[in-house]
Amino acid sequence: MTLSASNAILLVGHPNVGKSVLFHRLTGAYVNVSNYPGTTVEVTRASARFDHQVALLDTPGVLALPSRSDDERATMRALLKESTRSLVQVGDAKNLRRTLTLTALLAELGVPMVLALNMHDEAAARGVTVDIAALGEELGMPVLATVATGGEGIGELTASLGQARAPQALLRYDAAIEDDIGQVSAWISRHAAHPHLAARGLAILYLGGDSEVADWLRETAGEQFAELAALRQAAASRAEGDLPTLLARERTEAADALAASVIQRAVKSSPLLSQRIGQYVVHPLWGIPILLGVLFAVYEFVGVFGATTLVGLMEEDLFEGILNPAFTHFVTAAVDLPWLQELLVGQYGLWTMGMTYALALILPIVTTFFFAFGVLEDSGYLPRLTVIANRLFAMIGLNGRAVLPMVLGLGCVTMATLTTRILHSPRERLITIFLLALAIPCSAQLGVVLGMLGGVSFTAVLIWALAMVGVLLLAGFLAARLIPGRRIPLVTELPPMRLPILGNVLKKTGGRLKWYLIEVIPLFLLGTFIMYALDKTGALPAIIEAGEPLVTGWLGLPKEASAAFVMGFLRRDFGATGLFAMAHSLSPIQAVVGMITITLFIPCFASLMMMVKEQGAKTALLMVGLIVPFAFFIGGLFNIALRALWS
Amino acid sequence: MSAKHEARLPLAFIQPGSEVRLAALGDEIDPLQREQLTAYGLAENRPLRVLQQRPMTVILADEVELALEHAVARHIWVEKDVANA
Repeated sequence: MTLSASNAILLVGHPNVGKSVLFHRLTGAYVNVSNYPGTTVEVTRASARFDHQVALLDTPGVLALPSRSDDERATMRALLKESTRSLVQVGDAKNLRRTLTLTALLAELGVPMVLALNMHDEAAARGVTVDIAALGEELGMPVLATVATGGEGIGELTASLGQARAPQALLRYDAAIEDDIGQVSAWISRHAAHPHLAARGLAILYLGGDSEVADWLRETAGEQFAELAALRQAAASRAEGDLPTLLARERTEAADALAASVIQRAVKSSPLLSQRIGQYVVHPLWGIPILLGVLFAVYEFVGVFGATTLVGLMEEDLFEGILNPAFTHFVTAAVDLPWLQELLVGQYGLWTMGMTYALALILPIVTTFFFAFGVLEDSGYLPRLTVIANRLFAMIGLNGRAVLPMVLGLGCVTMATLTTRILHSPRERLITIFLLALAIPCSAQLGVVLGMLGGVSFTAVLIWALAMVGVLLLAGFLAARLIPGRRIPLVTELPPMRLPILGNVLKKTGGRLKWYLIEVIPLFLLGTFIMYALDKTGALPAIIEAGEPLVTGWLGLPKEASAAFVMGFLRRDFGATGLFAMAHSLSPIQAVVGMITITLFIPCFASLMMMVKEQGAKTALLMVGLIVPFAFFIGGLFNIALRALWS
Repeated sequence: MSAKHEARLPLAFIQPGSEVRLAALGDEIDPLQREQLTAYGLAENRPLRVLQQRPMTVILADEVELALEHAVARHIWVEKDVANA
């Protein structure tokens, strides 16, 4: 895709105001979107539906600017580095004050803008009416009401992009601060002028302590940057208080005044049903039973319907009954070379193992999981889960926010590792990534575990689940004490509970499945090929032989289970599926021990690469070096304990 | 300490269902978290409705529902809203 670099339109706004849904409407491209703040962790780029030469960029939500968090820095970098044609600020119609506080800063950048007041329907339901025309006039730029999830106002928004205007400034700061802004912006104009952004806007951001702007100015101005740093130092010492706080306060006051002039509120009636439900979900008494009910429903849908019913239909009826015999017949008739026949349809055949594992065993499970997850996130339940889980996570040095990557990790650990960027401190990220890699099974693996242990007994599932929770708490408890730094108390926004829209859930499930299958099928085929090559060269029997003391002696598994651990080096679920395939030859204790060990085992190759990306190679390898022996150690302990209890 | 100042209470001690006004964010709150709270709209004199206190403090500020750990809510000073007192 070739897109004009000078033709970018940036979508910016607070978290959870619908930027990514709007982005999907405007481009058709899928972003990992959900009804909790901070889902978009990177800038996403796609060509616009209305003009393929225009690049649309979806930026992570900013709680405020100047930037402080990783999300905000990513958005600031996009503003600084992209040749922006215009900005579309996406705001929450029912929270106009907050929206306009951000507008007050963006307006100073001198870039043509359009303001899309999204979730107009929710504002109306709460009796909040915004005089759109008056607001547009006050700001001197197009302002529109949209409902991105329902597609309302999208046509008008597209049409208004041609009329984007640099808005009028919302405020003049206090005279002394204005003097400082004037001096800094004059210096920037002389020594480090930006091609698209106004010097005044950069000056306000720099005085407000934006590290991305400071880096850009330092890089552009070179040695002269010291003069600018001195100007900021002088401004900070003159200010009657903390300068960034004073700047932010004046913007808030200006936004308050403007919002008050264009908002009308109906007399407050009783809370909406969605508000009542939202309060029950985090209620000290009802919250836990509701959580258990949600977990049970997810288990029934993913573990029973997906992993048992659908897998049965796909594997036994479709693949084993129809496709595999037909394909094997075709290959043996059409291919003369025995080694090629075996590579395609043998014990380690690309079709009979690789594609059968990926499509018959894994696909139904991840499909049901992603659908269930989509329903939960669009309903607004997940942020409330952070409140319920906060106390538990406090025990492992985290706050409830870490539950979001953990739950997402039950879908795909790779995706979840990337999402740890929503956490506020490097310490929280390090602990969460470690725990994800150690004890959070992805949906494919979870489905295999539930399918296999569910066939043994409910007690087997319970032992496995308790082992995982126990390891998670123990490892987290130790990590929190070994990794320096302090815990950050939880402060989080609870977006409204909403009835999920089936079309949006299906779209997002489809997008995630595509992402997942693109990742999983090549790796499954590569894994199968490696197994085939190891088998043909005689290396696999040698590995099985070498692993025997550990696998048979310590874990008490049949020696063939070593092959599953070899497969597990490529993907944990591939290894788990290998154990699943030999389920008929395992005793209940062996099944539980095998599943505990493979769940704790090394994370899949893709998530390992993501760990390297997020934490660096040294930290990622250190984690793997801890995780592999730990997995075998815990597996062996369970082998001894379970045999002692049941013998 | 003025009478007005004496009327200030920590947000964590306010009964659910009460309407209050924000008086000040205590210095004990981490500076970055203070900025975060301001960005959520917790500015001086802003009306707040306390929805619940357990397991966390949950408040409504305009139409923004916020959950705050008690470690933070203890250092947010509020005054009873006279109109609703």
